[in-house]
Amino acid sequence: MKTGFSVFLVACVALGASWLGLVYGPLKQLGGAKETTVLQSGEKWPMQRTGEATLGLQVYRANGCAACHTEQIRQTGAANVLTVTETGSHKAADLKDFVASLLGTVPELMNFSNAITGKLAGWNGELPKVIYSGADDTVVSMLGDKFKAVGVKTEARVVATGADIARMGWGTRQSVAADYLYDSPVQLGGLRAGPDLANIGVRAPDINWQLQHLYAPRSLVKNSTMPAFRYLFVVQKKVGGKDSAAALVLPKEFAPANGFEVVPTDEARQLAAYLVSLKNNAPLYEAPFTPITAAK
Amino acid sequence: MSDETKKSCCSSETAEPTATRSAAPMWIIVVTLGLLFTGGLFLDSHGGWFNKNVYAPYQSAEQLEAFQPKSGAAAAMARGKAVYESVCGICHNTDGTGKPSQAPALAGSEWVTAKGFSRLAHIPLAGVAGAIQVGGKAWNMNMAAMGAALPDADVAAVLTYIRSSWGNKAEAVTADDVKKVRAEIGKSPQPYSGAQLQAMPE
Repeated sequence: MKTGFSVFLVACVALGASWLGLVYGPLKQLGGAKETTVLQSGEKWPMQRTGEATLGLQVYRANGCAACHTEQIRQTGAANVLTVTETGSHKAADLKDFVASLLGTVPELMNFSNAITGKLAGWNGELPKVIYSGADDTVVSMLGDKFKAVGVKTEARVVATGADIARMGWGTRQSVAADYLYDSPVQLGGLRAGPDLANIGVRAPDINWQLQHLYAPRSLVKNSTMPAFRYLFVVQKKVGGKDSAAALVLPKEFAPANGFEVVPTDEARQLAAYLVSLKNNAPLYEAPFTPITAAK
Repeated sequence: MSDETKKSCCSSETAEPTATRSAAPMWIIVVTLGLLFTGGLFLDSHGGWFNKNVYAPYQSAEQLEAFQPKSGAAAAMARGKAVYESVCGICHNTDGTGKPSQAPALAGSEWVTAKGFSRLAHIPLAGVAGAIQVGGKAWNMNMAAMGAALPDADVAAVLTYIRSSWGNKAEAVTADDVKKVRAEIGKSPQPYSGAQLQAMPE
């Protein structure tokens, strides 16, 4: 084989190029990731987990939760939204005329004429009313200023869009690398037999809810297909006929026999603490949105 | 096989076949270059130039910037109110009127509404000890460095909030302003007396 050496060289280049692109490039880009700050608040992100929750990640891993649950919110777009919140002394028809005159005279707004008049068609003054929703941010600030000048209150918001975000409580923005800074190993998951858990700590922040759900999923979610993780709990005899402090409060059909109680093991408590620590509710520079509480 | 074919072939049956060089077809070269070019164009417009902050669906750093929440002033005021009510309001009262024998009023205080922010910013960052005149009344109290542990943005937000609430009308304070004052005070702040503060530029 005369060309052996060049085949070897080309193979080295091909493998080297893939290594550069798939390993070295991402490492260079995100390898030095540090704590970042939440937009407009200065709080650190991600929050450091408690020791119990850090151990819970290993319980999550050991029980194969990632086989049926993902921890990643996807986003397909973003929008600058301008909403009228108070019309002051103006009527809907007046405001429509006002907007029409603005669209005819302000050159920067003319391009958005169709988008805005489309939103206003058939509006009878119900509030809050979305006036503009799209990619452009100058339209939002300009229209907002014009409305402010005539005494109409508006609210400008940035929202993330996508099927995951439209499902209430799944998340408010897409997951980014910073969210996983303290996860080792990262439990991204690849199949959604159950719901996404990236924001479960906001949806269900109660540790007792999590524990009961792990012991008897169908006692809380009627048609749940999740297996009951009973081996993370101990069924023991009540001492002195009374529930101990840690015992689960269960509905009758799920409760153990009379005189017995269900107590979570350390693993169950760690797993519940980990689940409660999963949050996707902070706006970051790389995944911006306007939080509802800040717009007061 | 006939004798004719044997003859027409130049080599005998036992000879080893050898590879030779030949030019790649022109159309493959053209298609490859075309693909590389369109790929390069797409990467340029959608790749965000490998910026670590740009995730899909955002396509460039400029586009991401356009989606940053802009209501900065309103957000800072909301944050300032939240910080004030959890840190300062306990003594200075949530409506800025102060509490007798605890803390002086901030509403209408000449320290708060001064033209510059510098004197005012020293107070939460380093604290006050001893006699100080506020609104014509003499106070002799100690205030701890309540803002020393807060981030610059929060101190700036709370100073902006007290300077533009309850009838006070003074300019906003930025996080950079607070950073400068913090650098001036140094790492181990000592509380100032009223006289020391008075001696500072506004």
